[in-house]
Formats: sequence, C-alpha cells, structure tokens
Amino acid sequence: MLNYDKLIIKLLIISIFYWSCSAQAEEKTGTKTKQSVSSSVMNWFKAAKLPDNLQIQGFASQAFISTSDNDVFGNTDNLGGGNFGFTEVGLNASYRILPRLQFSAQVLSRRAGEGGNKGSPRLDFGFFDYRLYSQETNQFGVRVGRLKNPFGFYNDTRDVAFTRPSILLPQSIYFDRTRNLGLSGDSVQLYAESSHSSLGSVSVQFGVWKPIVDDKETEFAILNSNQPGDMTREVSYIGRGTYESNDNRLRLAVSGIWLDVGYDPGPNDRLGPGMLQFTPVYFSAQYNTEKWSLTSEYAIRRLKFKDWGNPLLDNADVYGESYYFQGVYRFSRQWEAILRYDVYYADRSDRSGKQYAATRNKPAHTRFAKDITAGLRWNVTPSFMLRAEYHRVNGTGWLSGLDNPGASAFSQHWNLFAVQASYRF
Amino acid sequence: MSTIKTSCFFFLFICHLFVIDEVRANEYYQIVSHPGVNEKTLSANVLRAIFSMRMRTWSNGDYIKVFVLPDNNELHLDFTKEKLNVFPYQLRSVWDRLVFSGTGQAPITVYSQEEMLSKIANTPGAIGYLTTTYINDEIHVFQIK
Repeated sequence: MLNYDKLIIKLLIISIFYWSCSAQAEEKTGTKTKQSVSSSVMNWFKAAKLPDNLQIQGFASQAFISTSDNDVFGNTDNLGGGNFGFTEVGLNASYRILPRLQFSAQVLSRRAGEGGNKGSPRLDFGFFDYRLYSQETNQFGVRVGRLKNPFGFYNDTRDVAFTRPSILLPQSIYFDRTRNLGLSGDSVQLYAESSHSSLGSVSVQFGVWKPIVDDKETEFAILNSNQPGDMTREVSYIGRGTYESNDNRLRLAVSGIWLDVGYDPGPNDRLGPGMLQFTPVYFSAQYNTEKWSLTSEYAIRRLKFKDWGNPLLDNADVYGESYYFQGVYRFSRQWEAILRYDVYYADRSDRSGKQYAATRNKPAHTRFAKDITAGLRWNVTPSFMLRAEYHRVNGTGWLSGLDNPGASAFSQHWNLFAVQASYRF
Repeated sequence: MSTIKTSCFFFLFICHLFVIDEVRANEYYQIVSHPGVNEKTLSANVLRAIFSMRMRTWSNGDYIKVFVLPDNNELHLDFTKEKLNVFPYQLRSVWDRLVFSGTGQAPITVYSQEEMLSKIANTPGAIGYLTTTYINDEIHVFQIK
C-alpha cells in the first residue's frame, strides 16, 4: 500500500515539474517586461498550457491557534500565546482519460500537532471513476481506488479551508483526532444520480472499503494509548443518500458507516486479538438563501469492542451522540459571519460522564464537549481568504490524547482563538 | 403646456421602462455552444446538470466542456440566477465538492466575453453563455425549453 502511495505522489510531482518546465519555456519565448510577483505567477499559470482534460488545483492554509487551557494542534496554551502548528498544503489533479473515464488524486501535507502525518505528504485519494450509464440527467458509475469517505456535508472536502464553514470543523461530527481513519479508504464505490425537472435531484453512493489504520493517531484514538500490536484492516461499508432541491436551497443527506477494525497483538501483549465495530449514522440538513446558510447535522454513533481479553474494553458497547446548529451570514461577497453550537456526548446514556468517572480514573468532562463558536471570514480575493474565530468550550471530549498526554491535566472550561490564512489556485 | 411636457416625459419614461423590460424578456444573453454540438434545444434540467458538472458527455458521447465567467461577473450572476435558479456561491461550492473529493471537474473560467467567444468557437463540445452582441455565425445558440 505504501508503494502505491509513493508511486502516485511521484507521478504527480513529475507531472507538475514537467508542466512548470513547459510553462517557463513558454514564458521565455514571450517578450514580457518586468512584472509584479503576483501577475507573473498568474501569467505562469495562464501560460502553462495544460492538456484540455487535465485540471490541477492546489491550496495552502496556515492557522495560528491559541487556547486558555488544553492543547489543540501543538502547544497552544503556552505563555507565548499560541502556536502555528496547523498547516495544510494540498495538490489535486484530475484527468479525463476518456469521456467516461476520469482519474483523480490528491496529495496533502498536513501538520496538526502530534497526530496526523506531521507534514509528510500523504495520498488522501487516488482513484478511477467510470461512468457505466449516462442519459441526460441520469448517471450511474463505479469508482475504484483510494476514495474519500462520503459522510455528512463536509467530510469529502474537509482539508480545504475554502470549503469549510470555519477553521475547525464541528468536532462532534468531524473528529480531527481520527482524521486519517475517517477521511478515506481503499474502496470500490457505486454511485447513481438522477434529477427531476421540478422535484429536485437525488444522488446515492455506496462503497465497500478497507480503512487505513496504520498510523499511531488512529491507534491512540481507539485504545487511548500506543500498544505493542497493530490495528488491522477489515472489510467495511459506507453509504450516503443526498437530496437537493433544484434551486439548491434545501439539501438533505443521510449517511451511514459500518467500520470494522481488528487488532493483531504484539509479543507479551496484554490485549487479545480484539475487534472494534464503529457504526455511526448521520442526518444532515441545510437551507440556503442569498444571505443565509443554516446547517444542522446529527450523528448517533455505536462503538462496540469485543474479544480484547480486557474487561474494561470488552464491556464497552456505547451509543455516542453528536449534533450542531450553524448559521452563516453573508454580508457581502467579501464578508461572512458564522455562529455555531456544537455538542458531543461519548455515551448518550451517561451524558454527564459521571458513571464513567466513577469506574475509571478519568474526569467526567472527558466524555462530553459543548462548543459555542463565533467567527468572521474575509474573502480578500476569490483565491485568498482570511478568517478568525473564537470557541468557548465546556468539556474535553474531542481533544486529542496525543496532544494532551495525561487526560487528568485537562481543564473542563476553556477557550480557543484561531486565525487562518488560506490561498488556492 | 407644462402638463403636456410632464405627460410626455412620463410617457417616454414608461416607454423607457418597457424597452428595458423588453430587452430583459428577450434575454440580453444566450446559451451558446461549439457549432459541432448536435443538440439544438436544452431543457432547464439538462442545463442544470451540465453546469453543475454532473452530466459529462453530449448525446453522441463527446466531452462536454463547460466555460464560465468569474463568480463576481454580472453576466455570470444573471445567468446562474435566471437560468439555473441558484446563486454563484452555491454553484462554486458544488464545483469545490466535486474537485476536492475527486468525483468531478470544475468548469473552465474565462476572464472576458472575447475569450469566451474564442473558446466556444474553437473547442469541440464547448458550452457557455454570451451577450447577444458577441454572438456570431461561428457559434451555435441553444433554445432553452
């Protein structure tokens, strides 16, 4: 699998290099005089004559995060005031090989505290998409390769700051501490789309996939610590159905995941060959007007452990619950404001976490989080964006254990302030 | 005398409003394509499927190549609101979802109507929109049902 990753990354780098060489060659033949940096960059892109069916896009985002207590993506509650630990740089290419066949890939370098890949490039997706049937507004096709997991409104594009409503996605649904596991998997996916002249359009995706579990972020999020053994990939399923009215005012979606992960114990392991089953269902709704976008998502998440040979794990069969309400207001093309209330419960039958705290040596507030977020976004140009946001959080339920070793050091009530700059081309 | 003047003025003013309305009603722009495209008419539903980048091929199996003006262009704004019944920001987020999930491509952005005209005339399978003053015999104009 790693080799497959590296091959695709190499191919992308080579094609970009080739493209930039040809672009430079074209510029040399021109008789252009001195230009500002930005206009010469624009000309470089314009001069780079891509084949008609090849599209290359990229983005780069840098955030500064400061917290009153607890760490988010690096040491953010230090005396210096914060940390530049959250960086996302991505390169995305798609090629229509034949009218019905497309190849797409995206490589992302992401720095986000102790979790993730600490900036080393990772293949987020790389797959072929073949249209088996296409008749005007009815489409049916298949996708094979590493695919983004279609759930909720934001998971498919979660690393692209421009597509997010805020710097941090609502963490109750889009956990950043299991971002790699949730993001994409090796999959075969069928999709169908149909639209009606007055009723609107419906699209359905269904995939059989194997999750990617080989990073310590995933292991830590599942087992709360690093263990001598390895997580193993099991066959899993994912599906999403979306309805959109023809004016895109109303968007509704239901998504579900059946995720199976196994464990292969290491030498002298105190854990057995256990299984983890994660089966969340998501309901999403959005209403859009010219100025407003109102969005809400609800998730009920069953998490079940078995055969670990550890009573604490084996008895765990809990239903977690999450939801948020979010309003975005567009003052103008340049300015937007956001307000959101986001709630996470690790166990809906123990929302306060008190039962959990009574049996384990961990504080009750690690089992929930209620986050009020207010933010502003300034689209300086269509390709450059600045934003700032403030979070007031009660609870530590979605904080990363890797960023915050020793959960007893968590503070229940905390604030987060973040600013972000993002560029796309 | 002054009443006549005033009525004349109002008459002309009303006429003026009608002229504007007339132009609006007849559309000051049209949906256009490369002359090689076989389709002569498009339904509003098909037009939406094309510009939201879900429909990728013409009925003869050729590529559809979609060209648009920038999101903040007035013609783009009128086209998306009147023909597609959506706002430009919604269309942009539809395209972003396709591009960054890898499940589709974005339309090609051109920066002027001259550029739009030359792309439409010279790219097989191309579709876009132009104000009527730019339309000539080299391109095909759709009837929208």
